[in-house]
Amino acid sequence: MPSVTALTEAVAAGKRNDALRLTQELLAAGIPPQVIVETGLVPGMSIVGERFRKNEIFVPEMLIAARAMKESLKLLEPLLVAAGIRPKYTAIIGTAQGDLHDIGKNLVAMMWRGANFNVIDLGTNVSAERYVAAAREHQAHLVGISALLTTTMPAMKEAVLALKAAGLTGTKVVIGGAPVTQDFADEIGADGFAADAGTAVSLARRLVGEAA
Amino acid sequence: MNRTDSLRQTLARRALLGDGATGTQLQSMGLKPGACGEFWNTAHPDRVRELHRRYVTAGADLLTTNTFGANAFVLGHHGAADRGRELNVAGAQLARELAGDAAWVLGDVGPFGGMLEPLGETLPEDAAKAFRDQAAALLEGGADAILVETMSDPVEMALAIGAAQAAGATLVIATYAFQKSAVGLRTMMGTTVAAAVAAALAAGADVVGANCGTDLSLGDYEKLAAELVAAAKGNPVIVQPNAGSPILREGRISYAESAALFAAAAPRLLGAGARLIGGCCGSTPEHIAAMRPVVKPTG
Repeated sequence: MPSVTALTEAVAAGKRNDALRLTQELLAAGIPPQVIVETGLVPGMSIVGERFRKNEIFVPEMLIAARAMKESLKLLEPLLVAAGIRPKYTAIIGTAQGDLHDIGKNLVAMMWRGANFNVIDLGTNVSAERYVAAAREHQAHLVGISALLTTTMPAMKEAVLALKAAGLTGTKVVIGGAPVTQDFADEIGADGFAADAGTAVSLARRLVGEAA
Repeated sequence: MNRTDSLRQTLARRALLGDGATGTQLQSMGLKPGACGEFWNTAHPDRVRELHRRYVTAGADLLTTNTFGANAFVLGHHGAADRGRELNVAGAQLARELAGDAAWVLGDVGPFGGMLEPLGETLPEDAAKAFRDQAAALLEGGADAILVETMSDPVEMALAIGAAQAAGATLVIATYAFQKSAVGLRTMMGTTVAAAVAAALAAGADVVGANCGTDLSLGDYEKLAAELVAAAKGNPVIVQPNAGSPILREGRISYAESAALFAAAAPRLLGAGARLIGGCCGSTPEHIAAMRPVVKPTG
């Protein structure tokens, strides 16, 4: 009997061939795809986020783990779609208006997918109006705004204010990026701040009411 | 003697003073957040000249061209992937014009903005071509050396150094952005100071060091300088700190470290063994002028 724990370990270690093989074996053994995601992949990426937060690993190891996760998801996603099973939570993400730097945003998007969020990535240079429209359209539980440039922090504030003014109850707004601090998040009324992509996962889970 | 040789010989004789920030200075002259500052090399050459003039007046030995993001990848995000040569040549010419005989020109090359295979999607040869094209245009416009800066990935750094040399650069300065971590100073990719410097030297860099970085105080840069010197095996070390971390108050951005603090830090950076010092984000002509008496032009 193949074990989901082995899949978790393969993902955390970034072993994509193992992740693929174990996923095939688990499916062959009749384990439902959503169980494989929730008990195999999500804990694996959660370990990755935690190690990243503690500086035990850095960006390369995180990207390699995500590749292993994607390898497994290639098999699982068509089955989940066919069965009409969707992630429980939806998150919108993008970089603040005026900011084209997306490495950090991409890492957070990847880690949120790894936590089994349905992630809608709006890309870079996202206006306040686009965040609001996407949050409304997708009934997002979470909106993430990222900035690398200090100069785009005012745009971040504008987006947070617009999202709050839109009266989207049930949508939490989180911000992050090199120049951003908890003080700034508090000042502009964001629901949360994450210093890195690892923290962004536990923050997201906590804000939607799951155990972090 | 050509200018690159005179730069090399002067560096062997004394410490050199770089210039300060480009991006944050252009923003103070009206560049909008997220707009492409490199477009100003042709759209507002007068303002770019003024920036260089201020740094020459402040006493900088080295002028950095306004070309940090002028590679095909970053320009592509601004819909201008095909304008690289034009913007780099113009950027180097503007700096050259203001430098005259008073300063040398560093052709500025920043990261391409993504991740290389196998971690990301970009083929190393594509990134190398973008760096080579940029360096060639900078040299064509009159750059005396190539400055590859704000790098996180030692593989990308090595590609850029090799590309600059392939384009004809005979003096390459290579600097990384570091941040604090639970295990000491690292680049975003987790590379230690020693490993980062070793990769740059192995790729053929003539000068190695650090610029920018995240959440570093001037005291942190002083420690960083000592680590860089220990790793550089006798090669010259450059350190270009940010003027502290940015602070947003009532919609306006300011930087914590004043010109006076830079003046106080300069002897400590030189004491740690750095041979070239300047400034990165948030630093101004005042910061450079404040360091000038410490970095003596003669002796």
